[in-house]
Amino acid sequence: MVSETEETQLNSLENQVDNGGGGAWEYLCLVRKLKVRRSEKVFKYGLSILNDPKKRSALGPEEWTLYEQVAIAALDCQCLDVTKDCIKVLQKKFPESKRVGRLNGMLLEAKGSWSEAEKAYSSLLEDNSLDQVIHKRRVAMAKAQGNISEAIELLNKYLEIFMADHDAWRELADIYVSLQMYKQAAFCYEELILSQPTVPLYHLAYADVLYTLGGLENLQTAKKYYASTIDLTGGKNTRALFGICLCSSAIAQVSKGRNREDKESPELQSLAATALEKDYKQRAAGKLGLLTSALRSMKF
Amino acid sequence: MAEDLVLDTAIRDWVLIPLSVVMVLIGVLRYFVSKLMRSFQVPDPKIVKEGQVIVRARNLRAAANFIPPKSFRSRRVYFSNEENGLLFVPKGQAQNAQAQMFSDPNMAMDMMKKNLSMIIPQTLTFAWVNFFFSGFVAAKIPFPLTQRFRSMLQNGIDLSTVDVSYVSSRSWYFLNLFGLRGLFSLILGEENATDDTQRMMQMSGFGFDPSKSLSAEKDGLDIVQHEWALPKFEHRAEAVLKKLVN
Repeated sequence: MVSETEETQLNSLENQVDNGGGGAWEYLCLVRKLKVRRSEKVFKYGLSILNDPKKRSALGPEEWTLYEQVAIAALDCQCLDVTKDCIKVLQKKFPESKRVGRLNGMLLEAKGSWSEAEKAYSSLLEDNSLDQVIHKRRVAMAKAQGNISEAIELLNKYLEIFMADHDAWRELADIYVSLQMYKQAAFCYEELILSQPTVPLYHLAYADVLYTLGGLENLQTAKKYYASTIDLTGGKNTRALFGICLCSSAIAQVSKGRNREDKESPELQSLAATALEKDYKQRAAGKLGLLTSALRSMKF
Repeated sequence: MAEDLVLDTAIRDWVLIPLSVVMVLIGVLRYFVSKLMRSFQVPDPKIVKEGQVIVRARNLRAAANFIPPKSFRSRRVYFSNEENGLLFVPKGQAQNAQAQMFSDPNMAMDMMKKNLSMIIPQTLTFAWVNFFFSGFVAAKIPFPLTQRFRSMLQNGIDLSTVDVSYVSSRSWYFLNLFGLRGLFSLILGEENATDDTQRMMQMSGFGFDPSKSLSAEKDGLDIVQHEWALPKFEHRAEAVLKKLVN
């Protein structure tokens, strides 16, 4: 996850480079460090640096990292010829390199020749069966081919070994949610919360899944997790506020007629509603009417 | 016995400084040689998996209060279950790590190479110091010492009446041996092969002993009492919203 300071730094650098203020190399380094996906910009600026022989020689040994970065960005922008040239240069310099082999595999993937890419990746895996990136590329390939069940299988096998990789858990949770396998998705989100308990995103997603699963216990748990999201984001997350309102009304509906246990926080719903109204007044005053009518219809 | 011996400044110029310089140079040389000789070690999947299991178990212990009690309990059983729990190591396997390290030819070769690259320069330098720089007082230690250190520090000096604070160049060699570690980490960056003292400590601990850390994690996990923190969050959210709305 990118922190806020890093994000502002990245954006300011991007603005600077966009408006012709130089600093392209720092921007590329920052993108590489933070692993964000800004392929168009990387492609444009990286290529301009590489095509200028003076700037290229000024980079020294970092030149090859830049070739790799531009190759991947070109794959993302579908400029396969540029990628081929970059890979050729890298291969001349590092003939037996696994990283170059991986880039070749990615190129085959981008061209759509799935079986050849699969062959390339398996041969790389024979040399080093614990290469995390190649495992992840195979999962991505399965997903791109639309073979979701195989993607799930590969990802599960990967997670059996590398179970502390939270990006993989996140991907698995996304896939499960897309397939509506909510119980499994809930498990993945629990793993994510365990590894990074202070990231509100995971609490929110977990609450969403629990709310979708339904049932009194899940709804109550979901409400608690929406509350924790509000706490972690200082009340600014609109989705969590809506979640609280919806959960409360759903709980009221489900437990109609049963003895309602004394809620620990009776004011939470009304507070959330008030906060929502305030937020809408500030940011989208035109939709305030819709909001109030929706909240009224929920009537807790 | 408290007379102050006046030591020739030539000793400083021709003994102390050259000795330090030579040791630094030898350390740098060893670093580059070790870089050349380093072979790529294929990571063992079992060890990687165990490392990851430990990280996951540790996360579970640390953040246990953030997930519902049912999920926590099911995870705990998954980890410390007697039959196929991830952290459960039957007693027989506990000794495997050491035996494995000896029998695996690659690892044995690696260890031998590392040991050699440490022992040979040390021996050579020590012999050189003894040959050239023995038989005279090289320096004075600024604090007083007891008589027991005499045999260690005053090896070349055959006078028993000289104060123990006056030492031979051999002790300067040892001082440099342990003291230059900090200097090397400055000029060579982290992870340099000259870290002799660390290596010596490692030799006694035999590196990564997975079974012990697994059982330690298991015990830690068994102890954890789950106290679900989420209900507290509802109150906190209320407070936050109250502040926001008012």
